[in-house]
Amino acid sequence: MKVIIVGAGKLGYKLAESMVMENLDVTVIDINPKVLNSVNEQLDVLTVLANGIDIGVLKELGIGHYNLLVASTDRDETNTLICSLAKKLGCEKTIARIRNPEYMKQLDFIKTEMGIDYIINPDLATAQSIEKYLLKNYNFYSGDFAGGKVQMVDFNIEHMEEFAGKKIKDLKGFKGLLITAISREGTIIVPNGFTELLANDTIYVIGKTTDIEKLNQRVSPDITKKEIERVMILGGSNIGYYLAEKLAKANISVTLVEKDKAKCQELSEVLGDVLIIHGDGTDIHLLEEERISSMDAFIGATGFDEENLLMALMAKQLGVPKAVSKISRENYTKIIDRLDIDAALNPIYITVSHILKFIRGGKIVAVSLLIGGDGEVTEIILDKSLPIIGKTLEELKLPQGIIIGVIVRDGKVTIPNGKSVLQANDRIVVFSLTDHMPTLKQFFKYQKGGVLSELWNRAKGLR
Amino acid sequence: MNYGIVLKVLGSILMVESIFMLPSLVISIYTKQGDLYGFLTTIVVTLALGLILALKKNKGKSINAKEGLAIVSIGWLLVSLFGALPLYISGSTRTYIDAVFEIVSGFTTTGATVIPNVEGLPMGILFWRSITHWIGGMGILVFTLALLPALGIGGFQIFKAESPGPIAGKIAPRIKDTAKILYGTYLTITIMQVVLLKIGGMSIFESLVYTFGSVGTGGFATKNASVGAYTSTYIHMVIGIFMVLSGVNFSIYYSLFKGRIKEMLQDEELRLYLIIILLAVVSIGINLYRTTYSNGSLAFRDSFFQVGSIMTTTGYSTANFDLWPTFSKGILLLLMFIGGSAGSTAGGMKVVRILITLKLIKREVLKIFHPRAMRPVKLNGRILPNETIAGIYSFTGLYIIIFAISTILVTVEGVDLVSAMSSVAATLGNIGPGLGFVGPTSTFNGYSQITKVFFSLLMLLGRLELFTIIALLAPKNWRREV
Repeated sequence: MKVIIVGAGKLGYKLAESMVMENLDVTVIDINPKVLNSVNEQLDVLTVLANGIDIGVLKELGIGHYNLLVASTDRDETNTLICSLAKKLGCEKTIARIRNPEYMKQLDFIKTEMGIDYIINPDLATAQSIEKYLLKNYNFYSGDFAGGKVQMVDFNIEHMEEFAGKKIKDLKGFKGLLITAISREGTIIVPNGFTELLANDTIYVIGKTTDIEKLNQRVSPDITKKEIERVMILGGSNIGYYLAEKLAKANISVTLVEKDKAKCQELSEVLGDVLIIHGDGTDIHLLEEERISSMDAFIGATGFDEENLLMALMAKQLGVPKAVSKISRENYTKIIDRLDIDAALNPIYITVSHILKFIRGGKIVAVSLLIGGDGEVTEIILDKSLPIIGKTLEELKLPQGIIIGVIVRDGKVTIPNGKSVLQANDRIVVFSLTDHMPTLKQFFKYQKGGVLSELWNRAKGLR
Repeated sequence: MNYGIVLKVLGSILMVESIFMLPSLVISIYTKQGDLYGFLTTIVVTLALGLILALKKNKGKSINAKEGLAIVSIGWLLVSLFGALPLYISGSTRTYIDAVFEIVSGFTTTGATVIPNVEGLPMGILFWRSITHWIGGMGILVFTLALLPALGIGGFQIFKAESPGPIAGKIAPRIKDTAKILYGTYLTITIMQVVLLKIGGMSIFESLVYTFGSVGTGGFATKNASVGAYTSTYIHMVIGIFMVLSGVNFSIYYSLFKGRIKEMLQDEELRLYLIIILLAVVSIGINLYRTTYSNGSLAFRDSFFQVGSIMTTTGYSTANFDLWPTFSKGILLLLMFIGGSAGSTAGGMKVVRILITLKLIKREVLKIFHPRAMRPVKLNGRILPNETIAGIYSFTGLYIIIFAISTILVTVEGVDLVSAMSSVAATLGNIGPGLGFVGPTSTFNGYSQITKVFFSLLMLLGRLELFTIIALLAPKNWRREV
């Protein structure tokens, strides 16, 4: 599969990185030679120094032979135009990043008229994730699978003295649940039964939704009982706007603090039900005046990672049960696990997850990148033509970095063991380290035809 | 620095080298000229060491600029040191240093020799010497990249350090595919020339040796008189044309293959390259016709062959150009500095650098009249970033400094200035024969052992474009990083 990414910003870069891991042919176009240089040094992709909106450039690259174009420049208009041009020039599929809320209202029209197959709005996607997290009562929520029957959550076991220092096989109350990964000091470990949990580990647990709920109540009984009623949002950026709008619709009282007066004015006009406060959100007096300690959740959504993280920590200190921060740089991922905040969401990861899900399409149902982007959870429907059908997990000999978390068959959720057999039309939820993605693909993707594989299959049949 | 991955890649390189020795081993078994033992020992040793290094487990996978430089510079030293073994063991050279000089000359596609009587060498050794031209021309690491699966990310660092020219560019999204395309093109050109030479009446063995020598722009021959041993104009022309073809950027052939002929013809470097060749051929041809040659077409034939040979830094000769008039020799000496195109197998300073330098000079002149003028320097319609321009300035400066200092050092041997200058130009530019003391009919054997080591270093400096080797000499930057 050949992909062109126009714009090598944070999103473009992360996307290119994930796609290279997937073994796709990636071409990156940007107009900044410095950015391209660093891309070239870090990733095995073809870089082109040009303006992606130039038809000549697209033609020269042979856009007609590409399967996908992702426009992720910093301007919505440019992205739409590039996608439209590429589509007209014969590119199979196009994805555009569009952020302006004004355009979001006429998305369907834009999509059909401009020939864009998929529009991704990182801010909206992030707001949706935060909303889901706030409205569902989980400590932290990584993904919904098999139509909500299976869930994956992750939580820090710091406050769980009964967990720390124990081996996984000795843990009680984990019936029907599987610990797929442990995040320890910023690196992801794939555990087995003998792995010992340490204080400050974050564990990723997968299982039937009902079982996860039970676990959740055990882990944090005080939180789950309380419905979210009052939320404070720091920063009136697009994420802040989308989130405030969504929460207000869900009848939650929202206070939004924003520094810029004009922005406040604007927001107050569109967000009628939201209390807009004009002031410096890092000013503790202002926050106390707005009774931050009575809030059920605090969301740091300014443009600065440091501000978001620190203010989320501060909110936690002041007794806010849930503190969430938006971060956009990768720099801090390694220390976030150690901070006492409930969730840090990176719009880039969320966006990349959405795009990966889109390009895998078909039998892949959901994709979720874990914090740090080191691991991935994928839901796959097994096609009957797969060579692995009818085999037990032991026979598959999966590498250690790949774990089949659950098998959903006829609506029944089971946690598999070595003797479990894979059958056609099973839905499986697989956790995999990013390094192992190509292997995962080999296992679960229908192999391409062609004379050689035909012959090989015949030869195998004869034996 | 990540030593684990460096050792691993070095191991793969040694394994590749030992595989390239196999044809020579077969020849030596077949011809029984006493070089069998040399190849057998070397292959076993190289392969064993390569396997040990390559199979070693290592944690890190990343190859950054440092690792890339280390792999390329140490890799080239290693292949030269091991590649020299068959020559020394079989007694083809007197000392090991001679053998190293000879094989460095092979890998760097210089073609300078220390063996006075090439015709007395065993065929296996002759073949090995020539095949090093072929691998060295496109780069042994580029070849390794095409084979190694897991070198994706860091591969570009290696590619950049090994491929000649100021701007390294991929032609396919994956470095592996780029390497494959380059070697595919290379192989196609090679096969074409072998067939054409065979048609011209050469034996298979000779066609292969002369093809390796010309497509790799190396210059090792099977005859003492180089290509001059053949009287057939057809052979002169085939070798001449293929030398010129090999001095062209290989990605241009890819454009041609993709049907982008217009783009190819508009390549500024290609145009300048052809113009320089044309001008040099015409002026030397006229000069020869008016002085030593009585036959006009013969004068132009030799002029074309020699210009092609020196410009592409091959170093084959059909005539003893040391006896030519000073004007012609002067032009040849100038061509030694220019060299072939970036991304070709040729050495020298590269036409593109000369082209950009000329453009920079033009801009400076403009600035005298219009001090506030803004004029970006463009190449093929694209603006060159300042880093590239700075790189070209420092490369040109360093080239001249190394040339000047080395010339003075070589005169300690007691040779005349023209000989010293041309020896340095011929090794630094990877050409082969020079003028005077090292003219086309003589060899580098007259120099002392220590000077031969020095020349070997110059050849490596020239092939890896100075900075890769210079970086090796800056140990401060080599510290291990946790």
